[in-house]
Parts: sequence; structure tokens; C-alpha cells
Amino acid sequence: MNKLIDFVLKNRLLVLVLGIFVVAGGYFSYKELPIDAFPDVSPSLVQVFTQTEGLAPEEVEKYVTFPVEVAMNGLPNLKSIRSVSNFGLSVVNIYFEDETDIYFARQIVNERLTEAREQIPEGFGDPQMGPISTGMGLILFYYIEDETGKYTLEELRAIQDWIIKFQLQTVPGVTEVLGIGGWEKQFHTVVDPKALLRYDLSINEIVEIIKKNNLNVGASFIERDAEEFLVRSVGLATKIQDLENIVVKSVDGTPVYLREIAEIKIGGAVRRGIQTRNGIEEVIAGMVVKLYGSNSSTVISAVEEKMIEINKTLPEGINLVPYYEQKTLVESAVKTVTDALLQGIILVALILMVFMGSLRPSIVVALSIPFSIMVAFIGMHFLGLSVNLMSFGGLAIAIGMMVDASIVLVENVDRLKRKMDEPFMFIVSKASKEVLRPIIFAIIIIITVFIPLFTLQGVEGKTFKPLAFTIALAMLGSLIYAVFIAPVLSSLLLKKKKKKNNETKEEKEIWLVRALIKIYTPFVKFFVHNRFAAIIISVLLLLLGTWIYPKLGSEFTPTLQEGTLVVRLSMAPSISLEESKRITMLAEKRVMRVPEVRGAVTRIGRGEVGAHTDPINSAEMYILLKPEDEWREGLNQEGIEGKIRDEVEGMPGVLLNFTQPIRMTVDELLEGVRAELAVKLFGDDLEQLKSKADEISTLLQGIRGAADIQVDQVSGKPQLKITVDRHSIARYGLNLSDVQEVIQTAIGGETAGQIFEGIRRFDIFVRLAPKYRSNKDAISKLLISSPNGLQVPLSEVATIEEIEGPRQITRERNQRFITIQCNVLGRDIVSFVEESQAAIEANVDLPVGYYTVWGGQFRLQQEANKRFAIVIPITLLLIFFLLFTSFNSIKNSMLILLNIPLALVGGIIGLWLTNQNLSVPASVGFIALFGIALENGMVLVTYFNQLVKEGKSIDVASIEGAKLRLRPVLMTAVTTALGLIPLLIATGTGSEVQRPLATVVVGGLFTSTILTLLVLPALYKWFAIKVEDSEF
Amino acid sequence: MEKKNKFIFLFIGIVIGVVIALTSTYLFDIGIAGGSHKENHEMNESGHDHENEADVEDEHGEEPHGDEESINISDEVMKEFGIELQIAGGGNIAVHKDLTGEIVPNTYNVAHIVPRFAGIVKEVYQRIGDNIKKGDKIATIESNESLVTYDVISSIDGTILELHMTPGELIGDDKHIVMVANLNNVWAELSIYQQDLGKIKVGQNVEITSPHSETVFKGKLFYISPIVDEATRTAFARVKLNNTKGIWKPGMFISGSVLTNYKKVKIAVPVNAIQILDGERVIFINDNGGFRPQVVTLGLENNNLIEVIDGLHVGEEYVSKGAYTFKSEILKESFGGGHAH
Repeated sequence: MNKLIDFVLKNRLLVLVLGIFVVAGGYFSYKELPIDAFPDVSPSLVQVFTQTEGLAPEEVEKYVTFPVEVAMNGLPNLKSIRSVSNFGLSVVNIYFEDETDIYFARQIVNERLTEAREQIPEGFGDPQMGPISTGMGLILFYYIEDETGKYTLEELRAIQDWIIKFQLQTVPGVTEVLGIGGWEKQFHTVVDPKALLRYDLSINEIVEIIKKNNLNVGASFIERDAEEFLVRSVGLATKIQDLENIVVKSVDGTPVYLREIAEIKIGGAVRRGIQTRNGIEEVIAGMVVKLYGSNSSTVISAVEEKMIEINKTLPEGINLVPYYEQKTLVESAVKTVTDALLQGIILVALILMVFMGSLRPSIVVALSIPFSIMVAFIGMHFLGLSVNLMSFGGLAIAIGMMVDASIVLVENVDRLKRKMDEPFMFIVSKASKEVLRPIIFAIIIIITVFIPLFTLQGVEGKTFKPLAFTIALAMLGSLIYAVFIAPVLSSLLLKKKKKKNNETKEEKEIWLVRALIKIYTPFVKFFVHNRFAAIIISVLLLLLGTWIYPKLGSEFTPTLQEGTLVVRLSMAPSISLEESKRITMLAEKRVMRVPEVRGAVTRIGRGEVGAHTDPINSAEMYILLKPEDEWREGLNQEGIEGKIRDEVEGMPGVLLNFTQPIRMTVDELLEGVRAELAVKLFGDDLEQLKSKADEISTLLQGIRGAADIQVDQVSGKPQLKITVDRHSIARYGLNLSDVQEVIQTAIGGETAGQIFEGIRRFDIFVRLAPKYRSNKDAISKLLISSPNGLQVPLSEVATIEEIEGPRQITRERNQRFITIQCNVLGRDIVSFVEESQAAIEANVDLPVGYYTVWGGQFRLQQEANKRFAIVIPITLLLIFFLLFTSFNSIKNSMLILLNIPLALVGGIIGLWLTNQNLSVPASVGFIALFGIALENGMVLVTYFNQLVKEGKSIDVASIEGAKLRLRPVLMTAVTTALGLIPLLIATGTGSEVQRPLATVVVGGLFTSTILTLLVLPALYKWFAIKVEDSEF
Repeated sequence: MEKKNKFIFLFIGIVIGVVIALTSTYLFDIGIAGGSHKENHEMNESGHDHENEADVEDEHGEEPHGDEESINISDEVMKEFGIELQIAGGGNIAVHKDLTGEIVPNTYNVAHIVPRFAGIVKEVYQRIGDNIKKGDKIATIESNESLVTYDVISSIDGTILELHMTPGELIGDDKHIVMVANLNNVWAELSIYQQDLGKIKVGQNVEITSPHSETVFKGKLFYISPIVDEATRTAFARVKLNNTKGIWKPGMFISGSVLTNYKKVKIAVPVNAIQILDGERVIFINDNGGFRPQVVTLGLENNNLIEVIDGLHVGEEYVSKGAYTFKSEILKESFGGGHAH
């Protein structure tokens, strides 16, 4: 150890050069780091989407979801598979263990997808993986503004799909651009069933005929003389007339043209989502999805530049208008912490000046901050962490702690310098060697203390681990600085002063410190002489803490304010898209009544597959606010939110939810339920599941403590169920498929090839005219051609009934399930679970193969608690072990550990005074507090021991030691506390997460420092080492 | 002494350690466990309808549309949402059956003219499509047996639809060579599928339309075939159409809408006033300012109107347009959880 210091001091230049390398490395790492707003809490997830035109949930599940699920079973690192089968869309979410490499996961999913594809019947869709992105990947939304009003929704959508999308996708870092709204242009072949009857044709024949009359072929080449001629036959339809002139039939040489059977016109594709704006119009919108791991702000800037370029190429009057982007958020989040960081650095430097009384030592100490931060950047680069609110927040929190090690060292140099008259190099060396050991231990202990944070799982884990990592990294950096750089810099920078002030060495303490010592001395003397007073004070404080503690409210992680307001509207599941649009636009109109609102842009349902899977009864309204200076007097964002709430509240048939973009997306990706308790009932039959789930819910209602019981609503989507009667079709000589093909094509429509306009391609969509398929009566009249030339109406061969079917089918563990959610009030959740389980066992008769799984937040809590119950004692043991190694004394270690409860009290009081709740960040604060509180104790006890070893009596050692160590103890405490002040008072984006943490640390530091200074010297006597003990 | 002290310290140490361990573990419990409390709280806050609705559900869990439950929507909101009210009252409900068919000549106005004797056609005076009168000469034929010429004469007024002879042609006496039909009135022959046979009766009013013309003919069914065609499994009904203008041409494809039922009912409501709620048909009735779903028994219906037999009384106010909004309001509590996760 000592050799290390000697080596460092001997090779000062080398050390400095290496130090500069580290700083440079840190700087370049920083340049490379991706910048995000928040840590990405999305799970490791690969989504597989399959679009199947026109299929109901049951069929989607049977033909698509199931094969995909089965294929995914048994993948390495697989955590769970969850699927949702909706109308026309199957989504299989494949969750992997956290930390699984996303590209690896996608690769193995892709391998299995080929297997799944074979199992999915022809024409039922092709499963595709979602974009390589996460919940935070939706970085920019825009809509297309048409100032001229001349363009139809089809034309605008074509501009989106064939111009804008392609260009935006070329921007590096953009993985996908998803369009929504308007109508995808199609060539509609609207068939008249009566004409079919007249010419004795079936709709499926029409489809076949169109397919056969819309082809280009290549016929290789011919040789002529020395030349080759490529041969191609061109027959692709390019316009409506080409289609109209297709001959469908020829009777006695008289051709029957398609135009006599069908009307051919430009129309829109079937859509499951639209985008509306300001309650006045439908618009076309696009979502830019960022590639996983790319830098949000860079990508957004690039996209914005590209959009300006695209705007120039678009027709006059058409513009892209971004209405949501993450850059502002990223910038403001980073600004919040950067501001705090800079303010912290300034404050800490000021404090150093005040306590040190001169510039040079302050510089030596203050340089520790940039050095530690640079080390942290290097570490972040290697760990793949991004710059975000939490990781930078960790640095902001650690600012005060980064200087602690150097303070102790430099302070010691400074002190010895004044006391001793040796060559300066020797003083530096001696001073460094004296404190080296406690410094190393103190920092290792602080890092150790963060171990429990690394065991956090799920969202909290992903949120707070970056913070723990950066703190640990920065502490490591400060250790390196203290051990290597600080001695060198001290030897270089403090030297001269020493000579100049040779005469007045003992008097050199500046006035502030002298004054403080003056005030402090009587107190410490009093307590050392009246130890029981010290004990009483500590006990009183502890009691105060335990009294206040239950008064604190508790909450989860405080919600991060993203600065963008989203109102989520849920409507009845049976709603039609038109009605959904009408209601949404009414809501938009209401929101627009608030004067501060500039606009409202809403997405209803889903657009191009990849990001959203919402059904059409769900709408997300982004509210655009005017600039802040145009707001009414005294209104802030919350106030406006309230006004908006007032406006939209009370819309009949609409369920409202105020949320934020990122939060909303992430919530969707997370698995699991938000309620405390969730009973998942697994089984096969939807009816059975529903009725058994209802039974369970009724049963739970009767159990004491049950609240907010909710059973998943799985049904509610009206269906027109057509059941073909096999006897009837037999009489007409029909096959089942003859009937079903007609049903499919006539009602749902079928694509019969494409029309190319340059590279743009548009589907030819064959379907009956709306009036012949839009109600049950009309459908019952659909004619089916039988092989013997008969035209049979559908109602002759099938029964048609209106039923209520599932709105969607959710599956997990390869099985259907239904969730019963419930909260527990006023009793212990474990006993509640036991009682309910027994009650269900006794009263609900589950069919064979049906079983329940109990989960919910309580399960996560239990797991977290179990982990903590192991990890925290182990951590404490480790700390104890470290302390013991450092002091070689159980008693000393005990004494230092005593700081912890006293510090906790301060944290609790801090929260109470500032009216905050116990939350995850507050817990993180408590953890940080452990480390800091221990550090104080260590500094003192080390010195007491030293004095005792020097032969002083314990009482004298206590008082003298406390007096002499007042400066470093106060300095480390005050720097740490002041470093956090900017976080305490910050109001920017993300400050709400850091505040409880900072409050706890500052509060805890306050009590623990006072107590360290007063109680520790008093109690030292009982915990003092025997002089002979400490020899080693 | 020394040793004893050590044990005491060890003991104190363990106690402190345990206390610290417990408190810190407990703190974490709260930090995390407390989380969900707040979370739920928050959820309730942000969508506090949620909670209320859940309560509502509890209340009427057993009885889907309990009488005590009614929905209040202010007049303004009703206007905004386009909800309209009506007073229950009588109406006429006409039920139609749409059939397809074709125009055929009136069989009673068709003359198939067969030459009396086989022979050689000497002269043809008319062409296909000519309008002729009864007694007009159509052709002259020389009999093979007697070598006497005789005239083929039209037996009715009408149009020549078929004419199978040219001068010099040898004509037999076994099949008709001329078909004359009077197209001043024609028949529309409508195909009836088996399932509809019971509903279609002679004397019912019918409207005949052609896909490519605006003309609508109103008439009555005068005949329904007594048998069903073995090949097509359809029967047919006939309507006589006046065709003095010559619009209806035999072979033309037409549609007929047969009025199968017409009833003056005590209460008729728009079809969209009826909603399906929990598998039952309901109508929303004004009950002292609030609206409650009332299960109704329905009768006759067509595309626009539906007869209410039971559940709604004359003079009661009900939601005639926008009833779906009320249904959604009742279902509100259930669709919060319907989102894909």
C-alpha cells in the first residue's frame, strides 16, 4: 500500500499523463454514449405480428397464434410467451430474460418463425417480427398537412406510403416508419350480384379471371444474327379501363366485359385505424421508430432535417408537421441533471474554498469531480449505459461524494503541512499513507452499499440500476483520483504555499473553521463527559423516527413527467370505426375549447403493423399546447391538465385516462398486471373460463379485505356467425369451401392482384357492392353457384345468427386465460391469498385441465422482499467485515454501524418535513445514506484510534480527535449535501424522481453528521480499542 | 471480565446488526410494496370512473339491468352526441321480400303458328320484329300434296318474335315456324326459393325494377307455380306488366320486391333504438330524466322500423337515435381492461 504511494510520487509525470489519458478517454466515451430521456425499461421482448385479413379472434388464435406460440417454445433464455389474438391480427410477445441480447433473441425467433410459417395455412398471413426497437423507440410522430384542401385521403396516403416513408427510412437510426390514417388506395371492383346471376358467374370466378388478365411474363431471349433480343410480354393493367375491358365470359362470341358485372373505381382499403385532428378532419400520420440502441436526439435531428428536405419535394401546400418528438424531452431531462451537476460542482467548489481557505487545495480536491465523472463515462461506455435522467442523476448525486476521498487526503496533507517541518514530499507521502487505508475502505464500503440496488428487478431495476452503476463508477473514479492523482497534484500545487506560510502553520485554519471548533468544543466535551445524555439524545431521535415513520405515505416510483399529455379514450368494444371516429372528434372539439390548447391529434386503432395493436375502440389523443407565454395568468401544465379534464370528463360511453406517451407504450409492453393480486384462470373454453372467473370473483367479494375486483372482459364483440348446414349443401352438390369462399370474397373481399403505377403498387380488391352485404338480410341472400348451374341463396344452406363473441383472446403458457384482478385493503395480503385459495378450492368446481395461478404486484413484492431479506443482511455483513478488516476491532465496527439508524432517522424526518412519500427513489436514497454515514464514522474512529495509540486517554482522544476532525467531517458532509441541493430544488423534467432521493440523503446527512460529531465521541469509550489490540 | 465484556459487545453488536437489517429490509418492503398501493390509488385517480363503474358493476352484478340504475346525460351532451328522443307511438311496418327474375312474354298472348301442310315457301311478307295485326299475311306456302298455295295468317295482334323460313325453303307441318307475341303486356316471372314459399302469396303487391332503368312497375302477384322446378329448386310467381311503351323486353333481368306483410302496429321504433345488452334486446326509456335500459319483446321488423310488443308503452319517451351511446355508458366499466397487453 505504502509502496504504491511512493511509486506514484516518484513517477509524477507518468501518473499525470495517464490521468490525462483517462480524462481524454472519458471525453471520447461520452461522445459515443447514446442519449435518452430515461433508462429504457422495456422488457427484452420480440414481438411477432401476423396480419390476417378478415379473420375473427377465434380463427386467428387457431390458425396463426397457436402455431407461432408452439414454435417459440423452448427457446434459450425464454421467460414467457404471451399472445393476443384480435380481429385480423395476431400478436405474440416473446419475453426473454433481462439482459438478453436483442439481436440474438431476434435471430432465434426468426429461425423458429420459418417453422411456424409452415404450420399456418396458406393465405392466413405471414408472421413478421416487429421493428428492432423498444418502448422508447417511437421518437417522432408527424401528420401531413394539406393547405390546399385539394387532395383526397387516398392521394395523401399514397404520398405518405410511397414518398415520405421511403425517404425517412433512409435516415440512419430509423428502423421503421409506420403510416396510419386516410385510405390506402385500391382499385375496387364492386361486383353486382344480380349481374353475376344474369351471366351465371360466381364472384370467385371474377377473382380468377382478373388474376389471369393482369400479367407480365418474360420469355428469355432469341438470337438474331449476332444479337440477343430479350422477349417479354406485357399485359399488366395500369388503369381502370384496362380492368374494365377484361372479358369475363363469352357467349356465342359475344364478350361480357368486367364493366358489365362490376363497377371499378378507386377506393380505400379496409382499415383498422385512423388519425383525426382538432375535431375537424381526418389526417394521415406517420410514426418514426428508432433503431434499438441508437441515439435518440441525433436520430430525431436527422429526421427533422430530412423532413425539411422532403417538404421541398412534396406538392405545393403539403407539409409534414411533427406533433410529437422525444428530443425536447431528452434535452430537458438531460438539462435537468446537467444543470444540477454543474450547480453541484460550483457549490462544492465554493464549500471547499470556504473550508480550505485557499484556492490551491480546493483545486486539487475539485479536480476529483471531472476526473471521477470521466471514469464513470468510460465505465458507462463499457457497460452500454446511455446518458439519461437516471445515469446522469447518479453522477449528480455523487458529486459531493466524489470529493470526499480527496478531501480527507488533501486535508491531511494540509494539516500535516502546518504541523510538521519535513520536506514537502515526505509530508505528502506521510499524509497520504495515513489516510490511504481508511479512504480505500470507505469507498469500497460505499460501493458495497449499492449491491442491493443491483438486485432490483423489472422496471425498478432497469430504472435504478444505471443510477447505482454510475455512482459506483464515479466512486471508483474518485478512489483512483485520491490514490494516484491527488498526492501528485498536492505535491505539485500545495508546495509553495507551505514555504510561504511556514511561520503561521498552526494558526492557518481559517476563521470559519476556528469559529466552528470554538462552538463545537463545549458540546463535545459535554457529551463525552455525560455519555448518557448522548445516548438519550440518540434514543429520542430514534423514537422520533419511529413515530414519524408510519405517518409517511408510500408510493411507487413517482411518475416521470414527460411534458406531453395524452388522453386515452376507451370506447365499447363493439363500436364501429365510424362511431369511434365521431366520438373521438367530439372529444377533440371539447379539448380544443381550452384556450391553451393549440391542437389535438388522435390515433384511433392501429395503423401499419409494428408499433400499436390497439383495437378500434381505443384512441390516443396527443394534446399540443401553445407556448407557455400565451397561457392564461397563473396556469401551469397541471392546471391546464385539470381544465382539459374538466372538459372531457362526462362523455357518455367513454372511459378516459390521462397518461404520457412513453409511459403508455412501455406499459403496453410490460407483462403482468398492475393490481396487487391477480388470479389467472387457465383453461380452454372461453365460456367456461368466463363463468368460472365470475364464480371466483363473486367468491373473492365475500372475503374480507377484497377491493376493486375486476374480471377481464373477454367478450363483447358482436359476430354474425354463419354455420353451413352440411345436409343442405349435400343436396345441392356443394362443397363447404364453395360456400365459404363466396362468403369470404363477397363479404370480406379478396385481392385479385395488383396494379402498378411505376413502383407504386395498389391492390385490386374484389367485393360485392355494399348494399348486398351490409346486413344480415342481405347476406342471407348471397348466391352460391352450385356445380349443376344452380344459384342457391346462402340462407338455404346455412344458418346466420347474431352472437356475441370474444373481443380478443389472450394466451399465456400456450393456454387461454382470464384474469381476475383485485386489491387488498386493511389486511395482510398473504393471509388473504391463503383464505381465498382455500375458499376457491372448496367452492369452485374447476373442470379438468383448468387451473389458477396467483400473481400480481404482491408476487413481485414478495420476490423483491425475499431478495432483499437475503441481500441486505449479506451487504451489512460485508460492510461489517470490511469495517472489521479496516479497524481490526468488532467494537469499532459496531460503533460505526451505529451511524446507520441515526442517519435513517434524518432521512425519514427529511421526507416528512418536505411532505414526500416513501418510494423506490427514497429507498435508493437510504441506501446511499448508509455508505455516506459510515464514511463519517470511519474518519472519526480512525483518528480516535490513532490518538489512543499515540498514548492519549480515551476521553482526551475523543475530544481532541473530534475537534481535529471537525473540518474533514463537516466538509465531506456539507459537500455531499450541497452537491444534492440542486436536485432538491430542481423543477425540470425528471426532477420529481431525484427529489425524494436527494431529500433522504440530505436529511440523513444532517442528523448523522451532528450525531457523528456529538454521540460518536461520547460512545467511543465503550467501543474503544485496547491499545494492544490494535497492533498489527 | 475481559471475556465477558467481549461477549456483551458481541451480543450488542448482533442486536444492532439485526435491528439494522430488519429496519432496512422493512424500509425496502415499504419502498416496493408501498408502490403498488399508490399505483392503484393513482389508477383510480386518473380514471376514477373506473372505480365508480366497478362499484356499479358490483351493485348490479346479479341483475344486469336493475331498475334502480339509470343514466343521466345532460341535454347539451345529448345534442353534442346527436342523441335524439321520441315518444313511443304507432306506425306502419311494411315487410318486403326481394326476388329476382326475368321478363317473359305473356303465354296467353303468344301464338305459335304451324303451317297447315308441309310445302315450299313461296313468299315471306314479314320480318322478325314486325308488328302485325290479327289476320295479316305472314307468308305464302305451296302445299306439297296439293300444290296449292295457301297463306300463313297471324292469329293475334303482336310482334313477330320468331320466323323460321326463307322463300324456297321446304317447311314441315310438325312444328311452328312463326311465333307472334303480343308484348303490350308481359309477365315478370320471379323465382321463389323454398324458404320463402310460405311468405309469398297471390295478390301481394310487388314492385318490379330493372337494374339499368329507372322505371318502376307496381303490380300484383297473380300466379304462383304449383310445383317447384326440379333442377333449380325454385318456384315462380308471375306479375302482369303493362308494356305499351315497350320498356320490358322478354329475357330482361329484373328484380321484384314483394310486400309480404304490412301492419299498422301500436308501437313502432327505429331499428337502431334497439340495442343488445347482455344478450337481451333493450330500449332506453326516459325514467324521470334518467334513461334506463328496458328489455323489450319485438315483433315485425323491416330495414327501418321495428314493432315493440312488450316493454314500451305508448307515450313513453325513448332514445330513438344514439342509443348505442347509452349502451356504451353501461358497458363502460368493462372496457378498461380490454386493452391488449
